[in-house]
Amino acid sequence: MEEQIIKHITGESLFVNDIAEPNDFLTGDIFYSSKAYAEIKKYDISKAKSYPGVYAVLSYKDIPGINQMGPVINDELCLAEDKVTFIGQAIFLIAAINRETAIEAKKLISIEYEELEPVLSIEDAIKKNTLMHPERKIERGNIEEGLKTSTHIIKGTLKTGAQEHWYLETQTTLAMSGEGNEMKIFSSTQHPSETQEITAKVLGINKNQVEVENRRIGGAFGGKETQANHTATWAALLCKATGRPVKIHLFRDDDQIITGKRHPFLINYTAGFNEEGIINTYDVELNSDGGAVTDLSLAILERAMLHADNAYYIPNIRIIGKVYKTNHLSNTAMRGFGAPQAVAAIENIIEMIARYLKKDSAEIRRKNFYKTDNNNITHYGQKVENNRLDFIYEKIYKSSEYILRKKSIDEFNEQNKYFKKGISLTPVKFGISFTTSFLNQAGALVIIYRDGTVLVNHGGIEMGQGLNIKIRNIAACEFGLDKERIKIAPTNTSKIPNTSATAASTGSDLNGMAVKIAIDKIKKRLMKFAADIFNSDNYDRKTFYDDIIFHKNFIIDSANPDRKISFTELVERAYINQISLFDTGYYRTPNIWFDRVKGTGKPFHYYVFGMAVSEILLDVLTGEIKILRTDILHDPGRSLDENIDLGQVTGGFIQGSGYCTTEDIKWDKEGNLLNHSPDTYKIPTIDDIPVDFRVELLKDFPDQNPDTIRKSKAVGEPPFLLAFSVWLAIKYAISSICKHTKEPEFSIPATNENILQSIEKLINF
Amino acid sequence: MENSSSNSIRFLLNDLLYKIDFSDNKSQIKPTTTLLNFLRTQTNLKSVKEGCAEGDCGACTVVMGETEHNEIHYTPVNSCLIFLPMINGKQIITTEYLSEKKDDKQILHPIQSALAETYGTQCGYCTPGILMTMFAIYKNYSDPDEKTIKKLLSGNLCRCTGYLPMLEAVRKSSKNREDKFSQKEKATIEILKNIKNHSTISIKQNSYSYHIPCSLNDALDIYNNNPEAIIINGATDTAIRQTKNNEKLFNIIDISHIEELKYFRKDNDNYYIGAGLCIQKLLGFLKDTITSLYDTLEYFGSWQIRNLATIGGNVSTASPIGDTLPVLISLKSSVKLKNITKERIINIEDFIIDYRKTSLKKDELLTEVIIPKTPDNNIIKSYKVSKRKELDISTVSTCFNLSLGANNVINEIIITYGGMAKIPCRAKSTEKFLTGKKWCKENIKEAGKILFNEFEPISDARAEAMTRKIICRNLLTKFWSENQN
Ligand SMILES: Cc1cc2nc3c(=O)[nH]c(=O)nc-3n(C[C@H](O)[C@H](O)[C@H](O)COP(=O)(O)OP(=O)(O)OC[C@H]3O[C@@H](n4cnc5c(N)ncnc54)[C@H](O)[C@@H]3O)c2cc1C
Ligand code: FES
Ligand code: FES
Repeated sequence: MEEQIIKHITGESLFVNDIAEPNDFLTGDIFYSSKAYAEIKKYDISKAKSYPGVYAVLSYKDIPGINQMGPVINDELCLAEDKVTFIGQAIFLIAAINRETAIEAKKLISIEYEELEPVLSIEDAIKKNTLMHPERKIERGNIEEGLKTSTHIIKGTLKTGAQEHWYLETQTTLAMSGEGNEMKIFSSTQHPSETQEITAKVLGINKNQVEVENRRIGGAFGGKETQANHTATWAALLCKATGRPVKIHLFRDDDQIITGKRHPFLINYTAGFNEEGIINTYDVELNSDGGAVTDLSLAILERAMLHADNAYYIPNIRIIGKVYKTNHLSNTAMRGFGAPQAVAAIENIIEMIARYLKKDSAEIRRKNFYKTDNNNITHYGQKVENNRLDFIYEKIYKSSEYILRKKSIDEFNEQNKYFKKGISLTPVKFGISFTTSFLNQAGALVIIYRDGTVLVNHGGIEMGQGLNIKIRNIAACEFGLDKERIKIAPTNTSKIPNTSATAASTGSDLNGMAVKIAIDKIKKRLMKFAADIFNSDNYDRKTFYDDIIFHKNFIIDSANPDRKISFTELVERAYINQISLFDTGYYRTPNIWFDRVKGTGKPFHYYVFGMAVSEILLDVLTGEIKILRTDILHDPGRSLDENIDLGQVTGGFIQGSGYCTTEDIKWDKEGNLLNHSPDTYKIPTIDDIPVDFRVELLKDFPDQNPDTIRKSKAVGEPPFLLAFSVWLAIKYAISSICKHTKEPEFSIPATNENILQSIEKLINF
Repeated sequence: MENSSSNSIRFLLNDLLYKIDFSDNKSQIKPTTTLLNFLRTQTNLKSVKEGCAEGDCGACTVVMGETEHNEIHYTPVNSCLIFLPMINGKQIITTEYLSEKKDDKQILHPIQSALAETYGTQCGYCTPGILMTMFAIYKNYSDPDEKTIKKLLSGNLCRCTGYLPMLEAVRKSSKNREDKFSQKEKATIEILKNIKNHSTISIKQNSYSYHIPCSLNDALDIYNNNPEAIIINGATDTAIRQTKNNEKLFNIIDISHIEELKYFRKDNDNYYIGAGLCIQKLLGFLKDTITSLYDTLEYFGSWQIRNLATIGGNVSTASPIGDTLPVLISLKSSVKLKNITKERIINIEDFIIDYRKTSLKKDELLTEVIIPKTPDNNIIKSYKVSKRKELDISTVSTCFNLSLGANNVINEIIITYGGMAKIPCRAKSTEKFLTGKKWCKENIKEAGKILFNEFEPISDARAEAMTRKIICRNLLTKFWSENQN
């Protein structure tokens, strides 16, 4: 059993909030804006400051460094100055002996706003043209010509809603000051280096004075890529001001109100296709609600634009991308990073084409897939290599009994008025790598101690994706050691500097490689040393350095297997002989680049493929749905750990199905988030998973895989998008109400509310 | 052993006996400190996590052990909603106590091994809570079917795994109920018997007072002298006032220890339900008796919530979106109210007087819900529609009680809706329209139009007003479509 799993199941695993606090620690809390857009006219924090048990109340004036937290673009204040731009924006920070006291103190803060007219929807933003940055475009072929030669044209608009990450562990930081300006921060961050950088900037100190550490986080899904910086910085400010350790563990509602969500999109599209359903032209405008500040909105938009094709070759294609500024919280990274929104659009279009032509949608998909020999270049010029779309399609089409079931579904729909069924098969093609190419780098520090145990440091973060299990296996394998001898250290910025976020599904690709490179360096020295030892025994046949292998805790001359020495002994002798037992590894993904101006390049190291077939049952009168069956076939390359990869596929799919169904985010007219707790924000429970759920990994291509760590593929994000099979199965069930003669109104999420309203428009009971 | 009014409580935490003395005025622990906060700040049992502080995520789940007929009955509960004195005389079990270390080897509980083998943990944050529910399943069910497992585990959210492995883990492990807890059961029962209170405990600490009466009379007596007190039973509604709205609850009478209020009885005319019966136990009685109440309560909260929440508490909240009221109204139920000198029985419709307001007087307790038996050929059906099926508050709920005469003519129909107005409300115009008419499609269609305009519901986080109207109308169609013949 994996050590990490044992710790989880015995309750030993320590999360930031579980670290034993020093006795004198204080609880930090945030006073945030209750107005979406307003000038701050007056405020008074003096009463709160003098409330017993309160040690500090800070405003932006108390920031020793720069009042700026933007991760990419400097447009995000740490604490509001004379204006607030969204509800949930931090204005004051409080440190008190406990949460209760902090809350009492907050009540004593008075503030006067003068309200301005906010922008509270993407439609309004478009009307007022509040573009955050100049629009972007990627284009190939000729749209006008393409549409002229299309037999049929459809146009439409798709709205996709926000999604809350709902990591079980809310944002948490424990900040402790050391000598002089030193600051040690335990933060539930996906990106320790950036947390370090921003904290240093706001505190006005050097990065070498800030140490950020993290052992594991309780789920992240993108929500802790940049937005963990906030809590960390606030705790550090309070710690600095009071000279005492400060912990902030965001209360669930505060976490939901303050931190960003998946970007809502409004997508306008026109598609041209022929009698066969083959799309020759696709013109799409992706409008995203960035919220009040930029955060990662531009990179997210970019990934959306690069995935607008999903699995389909479209000769004439134009993708316009725009991010709008609104007075919502700062929308941010979330599993899929913009790709789901764009993929939803094209998948919905395929269903529309099928309905229009009265053909089966799976067939239409297959016809439009990227091919292997021709029609294999994406709109940004990258060749789709190792394309497995047709292969997976054939397999799942059969194993799911798609055709048979579709027939019986149609029969069921004929016979039933108040219950309808739907089915859909959807694919995903997902590009792996940060599209900002330079981010694709990672470091590791591997240490062997004199007792023959190994400590592996790397820059990635364990957040449930099993990264540390994978890395430990890699290290054990490379050293030929029992896993028990390998320990993964908490991620720490003073060990591995200048890391990239653990994101974009690249965690094990990048860090696994860096670890291997470090191990290879140490092994080289040990191999040479072992060969010297063997050869000093004056055998008649020499031991060659190349023949040395690491196997089952021994170092062996594979050509003369009787020559062997235990790892522990070799290590001790190496130490005595002044041979270094530790080393660093550094890896960067080779040969990737992207020209943002031209919109072309090879932004991805490789693609991941997968498909799903889902069948649902709809209660026409209540709008409630049940997923009856889902089949998934997903390509993990040569899997590093099948159990972990299956877990990622299953979990990603269910998170996606929540996005498509019950996860609804509503705002009121003043810009208040209405669903700010699990009372009204509904992620899937165990009851919501498919009644019959068959998840399988593709194992047919063990060798034709990219040049990655042990020929594996990233697995974190792509399965999320397979949930569109659920979403479109619902749409099929709805449209069966009018025998597929009308196109139902449809958006994300398809809550029972949205379903009912869509049905209401289709027909009157 | 008596420890009456001694300002202290005792409980078993895993295998350690705890006594908490509230006389210490400087103590960090108040009578209203939640079990979750106690565990996290005063012990090193950090496996118990806070995910929401409102009973909706299950990360704080612990198992509560109580003696019942010389056995220990184990139930999972949300520690974030439990005030410390509520656990007086009980055992609390956390994940730390599932496994043991023997000779430096870790001996895992069968459910732990099963969850590890199926990779049912990823980030691990939900895991201790999940294990607690799994442990309670292990102790209460052998070989439960998939539907049961899903129902019991739906109070534990996990954002990582997609749940599939947990299902497998429960299936694998819940074959027998034997474990180290069975071996220790006798000794544990002895301890629990010893620490159970048989007379009122009254806790006073600074401005706080918290009473735990053991009999109805004691409760009424205390209430009579202290009419400003807040009554709690399961506290699932009341604790939220503290954990979420930061209210201070200074003065509490906790009636959860009154055994005589936990019953289900019937005679020729009526069913009688004690106000203190929790929803989970009530469900056990309803399956073959009042199916319409069973049907909605099956989807009440989560297993953890149902173990705490009481019917008395649910009725007394007078919530427009509570689950029991529409059913109780359609079944023409009444409630028994008692103070120290007298009792009265009133119709449930008269009991609910306004938004979250009842006709309970300041010294009165609700002691019993009385549900008349309905004629066998009445058609009674309830529906609860919510965004998510499990662990969600209703968007709209309803109960129909239909009595048909000769030729399919409607003698009487009672239609009550929750979620459509500020109190659970009968659709009187629709009832009037239908009474005396034929039970047929055309009339239902006409009735639907009336029903659509009968209420002016609000738009909120759960649904827009229009959606509520659609559901309201459709549920009548649904009722009809299921009972056409
Ligand atoms: C996560 C969660 C999910 C929930 N899901 C549901 C759901 O699905 N359906 C639903 O209907 N409700 C739900 N609720 C609400 C709540 O659980 C119920 O209303 C529950 O029945 C309240 O019972 P209780 O014993 O816990 O009440 P308490 O909190 O103890 O009391 C509630 C109110 O009733 C009063 N009261 C209690 N007992 C008496 C009595 N005997 N005499 C006089 N007054 C009394 C109290 O003073 C208080 O005002 C949920 C709550 C939570 C936290
Ligand atoms: S903390 Fe979420 S249920 Fe208790
Ligand atoms: S394992 Fe992460 S929430 Fe369940």
